[in-house]
Amino acid sequence: MVTLPGPTTRINVMSFSAAPRRGALSVIELLVLAACIAAAAIVTNRHAADVMIQTFLWGGLALAWNIAGGYTGLISFGHAAFFGIGAYTSTILLLRYGISPWIGLAAGALMAASAGALLTTVCARLRGPFFILSTLAMGEVTRITALNGQSLTGGAEGLEIAPVASVANMVFIGKAPYLALILVYTLTLYALSVWIERSRYGFYLFATRDDDDAAAAIGINPIAMRISAMTLSAALTAIGGTLFAQYFLYLDPTHIISPDISFKFALICAVGGLGTAIGPILGALIIVPASELLRSLLSQSSSGLHLVIYGIIVTVVILYFPSGISGGIARVSSALSRMFVDEKKRT
Amino acid sequence: MLTLEAVGRQFGPLWAVQDVSFTVRRGEIVGIIGPNGAGKSTLFNLIAGAVAPSAGDIRFLDHRITGAKPYHVARLGLARTFQIPKPFKQLSVHENVMLSALRRHRTPHRSNPVTARTMELVGIAHVADQLAANLTVGLLKKLEMARALATEPSLLLLDEVMAGLTPSEITEMMTVIESLPQHGTTVLWVEHVMRAIMTVAQRLVVLHRGRIIAEGSPAEVSANAAVIKAYLGESYVHATR
Repeated sequence: MVTLPGPTTRINVMSFSAAPRRGALSVIELLVLAACIAAAAIVTNRHAADVMIQTFLWGGLALAWNIAGGYTGLISFGHAAFFGIGAYTSTILLLRYGISPWIGLAAGALMAASAGALLTTVCARLRGPFFILSTLAMGEVTRITALNGQSLTGGAEGLEIAPVASVANMVFIGKAPYLALILVYTLTLYALSVWIERSRYGFYLFATRDDDDAAAAIGINPIAMRISAMTLSAALTAIGGTLFAQYFLYLDPTHIISPDISFKFALICAVGGLGTAIGPILGALIIVPASELLRSLLSQSSSGLHLVIYGIIVTVVILYFPSGISGGIARVSSALSRMFVDEKKRT
Repeated sequence: MLTLEAVGRQFGPLWAVQDVSFTVRRGEIVGIIGPNGAGKSTLFNLIAGAVAPSAGDIRFLDHRITGAKPYHVARLGLARTFQIPKPFKQLSVHENVMLSALRRHRTPHRSNPVTARTMELVGIAHVADQLAANLTVGLLKKLEMARALATEPSLLLLDEVMAGLTPSEITEMMTVIESLPQHGTTVLWVEHVMRAIMTVAQRLVVLHRGRIIAEGSPAEVSANAAVIKAYLGESYVHATR
């Protein structure tokens, strides 16, 4: 082993900053998370609780997508397949064999992980748009398979879970247990994302995302990293799929495995900030309530108008905050701190 | 430490590298020179595992690395730089260098001392927090060097690290390269900046059209008629006299 000469300067790798930045636990991040937990604890209105459940679930799902798309650069427009695999596996196991969704959740994650590993192994050498197209194709193949496998999936008619409350069946009365369960899912994924950002594993993913050859030159196997990231991301997406199925108690391929679902994962990350732990949560906090609000306000009066407004909001955010809301906050915060430092110097 | 035996690589009908044999001993600084298209970068790619040889055998330490994957070769302690820098663009300079130290030191925290020392040695500590995407060509070259060094390699392959540096930076870099064997790193170095390689390298291998045409000390090589004809030119010989 070589000892390099020169003085040793300690550099703070992980810091505590004012605004969101990858690898740094920020004050704003902690405030956002605390506000989410507080809101979940005090909410009583059923409609508000429903919007919160959906927001946290989408936040968690986007965090799962972000492991592949944000940290590893594996932009996937086929993640609805993993979401569907999770939802269908647990539901089929419950309806056919009476197996608890708590076990079905793990089985679905395992199935989706295998599908993710297979996809990335087969497409290991595809990059950029070619990889994206292959994920889109996988999503569509999964949807069509689900539509045609009527005996197992119920085809276009879908599957319905009986609304009989039981902890073993993961069916609850009222919104509070769902809210707690989904909040745990999202916060766990957030904690996992923070760990990834600070770990050797995470840095290896970033290296693979930024340059394959350079990553290999420092001893990283880029294909193994890509496969592991997609496998992890798929398994976590599938868990979200099971939670979705248990909350809505109904599944059909057209809605569950649609490209719209896959695009929404990517969109939430892009709006919130790709490749950061807080980005997907910020994205979900904006996109999900906004789309719910616009739908309830405008879908009665003029059909489709809510989608136009929703599209405008997304375009504006992406145009003016290319690194997402979290990147925008970081920019504003660093500008403010520079101003503050300059002011201090003058006085 | 590194032995090449009759190594060759064919692209279609063309042999980019043919019948190349030489040895690099521990603690040496060996230079590879030759005109553009001589096969220098292909030779580096063959050693580092980026390209598999069509013929011959490559051994590094006690391992046969012929056709081994780049990450296997790197894990054995052979680091390389790229002629065209390949930074991790979305990461800071510090993170770029730290990534190399992570294999041995496992956590960012434990990698810190090596990362900091390497950045100071190469002269990029002042831009540690900058994004690699925003660096100038000269700094990118230094970052390449730092990233390779932070793996704490036994053998370092340097591919034209002087290109894009100012004369004073070249002098600084020469001092850095010269000091590496004292710290346990052997160097195999491709370079076009003659002032640097003729001063620092202890031994030179000259490639022309994929084959070795001369090997020896810088003084021997610069007096070799075949090398003067193929690469250095009469003007170089007059300038050094």
